[in-house]
Amino acid sequence: MDLPKRPCLLAFCRHTPRFDEAFRAELRGLGTPLFAFAPESGIVFGADDEPRDVGPRPELWRAHGAGKAALTVVLLDEKHRVRLRRDAPEAEATLLAAIREAGRSVRAGPRGIGRRELLVNSLAVALGAAVLQACASSRPAPDAKPAGATADLIDVALVVNGVERRLRVEPRVVLLDALRENLGLTGAKKGCDMGQCGACTVLADGQRVNSCLKLVAQLEGARITTIEGLARGGELHPMQQAFLQQDALQCGYCTPGQILSAVALLQEGKPKDDDDIRERMCGNLCRCGAYPNIVAAIRDVAGRA
Amino acid sequence: MRLFTFQRAGSVDEAVASGSSAAFLAGGTNLVDLMKIEVLNPERIVDVARLQLAKIEIRDRTLEIGALASNSAVAEHPDVRRGAPGLSEALLSGASPQLRNAATVGGNLLQRTRCAYYRDLATRCNKREPGSGCDAMDGWTRMHAVLGVSDKCIAAHPSDFCVALYALDAVVRVRGPAGEREIPIGDLHLLPGDHPEQEFSLRPGELITGVRVPIDGLAPRSRYVKVRDRQAYAFALASCAAAVQVQGGIVRGARFALGGVGTKPWRVPEAERSMEGRPANRETFASAAEIALRGAKPRRDNAFKVELAKRTAVRALMSSAEVAS
Repeated sequence: MDLPKRPCLLAFCRHTPRFDEAFRAELRGLGTPLFAFAPESGIVFGADDEPRDVGPRPELWRAHGAGKAALTVVLLDEKHRVRLRRDAPEAEATLLAAIREAGRSVRAGPRGIGRRELLVNSLAVALGAAVLQACASSRPAPDAKPAGATADLIDVALVVNGVERRLRVEPRVVLLDALRENLGLTGAKKGCDMGQCGACTVLADGQRVNSCLKLVAQLEGARITTIEGLARGGELHPMQQAFLQQDALQCGYCTPGQILSAVALLQEGKPKDDDDIRERMCGNLCRCGAYPNIVAAIRDVAGRA
Repeated sequence: MRLFTFQRAGSVDEAVASGSSAAFLAGGTNLVDLMKIEVLNPERIVDVARLQLAKIEIRDRTLEIGALASNSAVAEHPDVRRGAPGLSEALLSGASPQLRNAATVGGNLLQRTRCAYYRDLATRCNKREPGSGCDAMDGWTRMHAVLGVSDKCIAAHPSDFCVALYALDAVVRVRGPAGEREIPIGDLHLLPGDHPEQEFSLRPGELITGVRVPIDGLAPRSRYVKVRDRQAYAFALASCAAAVQVQGGIVRGARFALGGVGTKPWRVPEAERSMEGRPANRETFASAAEIALRGAKPRRDNAFKVELAKRTAVRALMSSAEVAS
């Protein structure tokens, strides 16, 4: 992929750094992409996304004269002009310390800046400044663990779509992320990630819930049903079939959540009328506006019950 | 979300003994949300979700609701619908079915404000960061409070359920290191004053175990009216829980509380007393609503709430008194 048309950080590491969970956690929510390159690989850490592979990109190494120091960090502005550049003798400790410091300064400020672009810019600057400062004053202490950076992992056994699954996760991992990242069940979608859009709806012990707000640590023994678990032996669930027949989707992103929510709705009680369906589906947003056909699909299945 | 240590409490005693620095976690619909955006950053979480505190029953004309009963369970319970319909209506008017399945009574009592500035780390907020200032004051104030405000905070209390509990004279039961005690619901929430960061009268380590609602002559007549920007799944611009007892066309007793307009659910005893002995009609209710909104301090975008709250109150009182509008 090309570099985005906004401020971003490039980190060239002579040895592949271990981007463990603690490191990734520090990056989340910073709002500024970090491209981390090693000789054989490249990863981009977006603001909210999981890290993505972007390949080693030797041309960028050449363009920025990287590889002589253990770590070279470059801050680019939105026109890809180099704004700041620094070399450091230590890669991993420096980078992690810098990211953590940037996280702190980003959380502490900036104040009173509302516009998205300004915010992203200042986040990039905070991150860049912190990386550069850490590069300059890097005093790696391999045995000193930063406070709060380690948490005991928790073992949780739960039943997902009828199959017992064992997870070993940090306590802060929510069900949605565990389904998608640990169990490979990507049917539950991450929309708002704050319990408002319903794209992540699953059934937990038969009840519809927002999986983005459920800590896995609280779910020992719970029975989870995702969209992958609705069909029976190759035959679609009646609600899935009805969504197809009524063309109850456009882009499809909200559809797994809509279908699970609709299945639960009928289990909770037969809807009185279309208004009742709309009210009881209020926790599932559809940005394409497929609502009329979603209501029709639910009405169809309700009528057959 | 920042890292924290996680511990599952096996009993209420164990939870209470786990120390005052821990945050209790039940349904997660509020706390996990706020932890994700790093507004709340507890270092220790004690999971109380599986404690045996989910019972709902009426005993001796008192509705007992366990702190871990879900919003859905309370709203659908036949005793609640019969004994305190306003409570059920308030719950069903809030959030979405998914959230109501997860959210619990205890969490709802401690629900944090939806003030956009409180939730945005890039702005100043005295509640989130004491003494830092308040960017809401001269910001976008359409959703903010007009009653109970201070020069430090104008964040509106978001709960529907609490509004109904105020009107029903509920009592909150808590267990702490020093034993059990009961807190009248009106004393649970603190006005912002000079310290908006102090939101509750709970002492360190105290766990809410349930609420008690007297099923008196008024509770079965309770109603909840909510006005919002959307028909569903939106926080109140103004809401009112009301319960009126009428005999021969005369108000014998009345209680009402307002939501969406106060820094906590808003009840004015003087407004309630003003209705007693007067005919159950629009005039009586309107003058009570007028008293309830006395001292309202609107800001740039929320002056409409003063009139809206009065009309909402009148509608709720008429509905409870079964006076045709």
